[in-house]
Amino acid sequence: MDTGLAISDLHGTLIANQRATGAWGYRGNQDSVESTCLAMLALRQQPGIELARAVHALQGLQNVDGSWPAFTGDDPEGCWTTALAVLSLMDTRQATKPLASGIQWLLHVRGREADWLWRWKLRKFDNRVQFDPAKFGWSWVSGTTSWVIPSAFALIALAQARQRGYNGTAQLDERVDLGTSMLLDRMCPGGGWNSGNGVAFGVPLTPHLDATSIALLALIGHEKEQGVQRSLHWLVNRLAGCPSPYSLAWGVLAIAAYRRICPEARESLCDRVEELMRLTEDAASIEDNCTLAVSALALEAVNGNSVFEVRTR
Amino acid sequence: MNPDRRRLIASAAGVAVGGIATARLLPEEMLLRDRRPRRSRVAIIAAQEYSERLEGVLVSGLREFHLNLRGRSVLLKPNLVEYIAGVEVNTNPVLVSAAAQAFLKLGADSVVVGEGPGHQRDTYLVLAESGLADQLRSQKISFVDLNRDELFKVPTRATYTGLEHLWLPGTVLKSDFVVSMPKIKTHHWAGVTLSMKNMFGVVPGTKYGWPKNVLHWKGIHRSILDICAMVPVHFVIADGVVAMEGNGPLHGTHRHLGKIVLADDPVAADFTCARLMGLDPHRVWHLARAAQFLGNGAYDRIDLIAEGLPLRTDPFDVLPEFASLQMRL
Repeated sequence: MDTGLAISDLHGTLIANQRATGAWGYRGNQDSVESTCLAMLALRQQPGIELARAVHALQGLQNVDGSWPAFTGDDPEGCWTTALAVLSLMDTRQATKPLASGIQWLLHVRGREADWLWRWKLRKFDNRVQFDPAKFGWSWVSGTTSWVIPSAFALIALAQARQRGYNGTAQLDERVDLGTSMLLDRMCPGGGWNSGNGVAFGVPLTPHLDATSIALLALIGHEKEQGVQRSLHWLVNRLAGCPSPYSLAWGVLAIAAYRRICPEARESLCDRVEELMRLTEDAASIEDNCTLAVSALALEAVNGNSVFEVRTR
Repeated sequence: MNPDRRRLIASAAGVAVGGIATARLLPEEMLLRDRRPRRSRVAIIAAQEYSERLEGVLVSGLREFHLNLRGRSVLLKPNLVEYIAGVEVNTNPVLVSAAAQAFLKLGADSVVVGEGPGHQRDTYLVLAESGLADQLRSQKISFVDLNRDELFKVPTRATYTGLEHLWLPGTVLKSDFVVSMPKIKTHHWAGVTLSMKNMFGVVPGTKYGWPKNVLHWKGIHRSILDICAMVPVHFVIADGVVAMEGNGPLHGTHRHLGKIVLADDPVAADFTCARLMGLDPHRVWHLARAAQFLGNGAYDRIDLIAEGLPLRTDPFDVLPEFASLQMRL
């Protein structure tokens, strides 16, 4: 398996897709913070003007409160992409002031169920979706409840901020612990994660590949939890034959992260990487920049170089 | 300022405040411009299965509406939620591709299919696993992921949610002819999900989350009304060949209805679909209000140009909180 050549093709296509602003759109049509961050992470070791322009563009998109919007021209409330922006700036070792304010924003913003009134309402009346509202994380958009992917990205960003010495406060420890308990609470009964909860209207929900993979990346260090093991087992089995490079790439990132401690992850990794390389063979035909970037990051992770891996303690 | 002038300003201010207070007490739909057509046309067409014959069925059905499609760009908006093996959750891919071919045959300049799934972030995964990707590829029809399209800020035209604007995908705003293609299903939050609820899918996840969580907090019924007041639905093709009852939109059970519903008015389409389901559309919050300003719900303003409504329908199973929707004869 020559992952190097495949990564190089994916990088080349990403560089070709960079917009004049220095940022990336999902498909080249409008600067998007998610695409820009994932592309920056993929290209973080490429010394060149592209990365410097991207850092400049990302800093330019930051809101005054330290958060990031979803795209250029977006309303100024800030959203889940802030976690990705923090991760990107840490990995490119750039911009300590924007980084510090981004971390502060992540520490302060909370899912709506953190408010005692909503918690009471969700417990007493609005309980058709089963979850423990005392365990909260991060939402897609301010003013809404916690969801799996925003919480998982925020946990990864904060754990890395602690590990790299950007923030070592008790407040950060508390948010990471609470966010971790939230992810474990929202797991589907058989393992894995849907978008938000495990059971709704009495029915167990089906896990999603990307949400499960990103949640598992956020839960590295908690592999003794039975739920984490069940989720990993579900992912390893469900990932085979995945037709979408985006979900497959997230899956490869997750099973690569657990390969040292999970034999079935280790055994399946090679086949999944081959499938991913086959699906991304013609990188120029992949329109979505997030798919290009996550695929490159997944192939790098196989070589032991993952931007999402972090030891929480 | 002289006393007369002061009194005049004070009374004008009083009238203004009183006016605003009165306006706030009026139902929202009374304050909105009445956009209901004089009459609406709906065709209920029998279709027992998803097969290649659907294209011919749609071409002849659409001809009855005398649509002017020459040179127009058509956007088909199916209901593509997520793939669950063995469960008819999504608008059937065979029907979507039949609709694309039918509109091209009737003179449309271009047809694209667009959707922004509500739960599943990996749109391509749903597209591939549902079989729609293969269908569209074989017919060279493009698909646009509305969750990740270029977004434009558009002022709301109704204020049920209190939002002043929504960000909407360019593909939707630039299309000449928007066709809502719902799967006829019950819905655990809204009662039913039909052509109006289907338009939730045009709201981008990149901005509003997965699911479109901001709008859920603003109220699903209210959000449906605001979206449908902003985005014109020019036509409806509702998939009722295999519908869903019970705990829809994902975990219900199949109900073979054997019908496709075509309509030139989404409100008339949804009233008719609800009646086919044996449910009372007037008791569905967003439908009752939509019939006051967006389209026609009343029997006497809807022309059924193909089959009539059945004399008796066994109502669709619904969750207990929606039992009042069921029409019992």
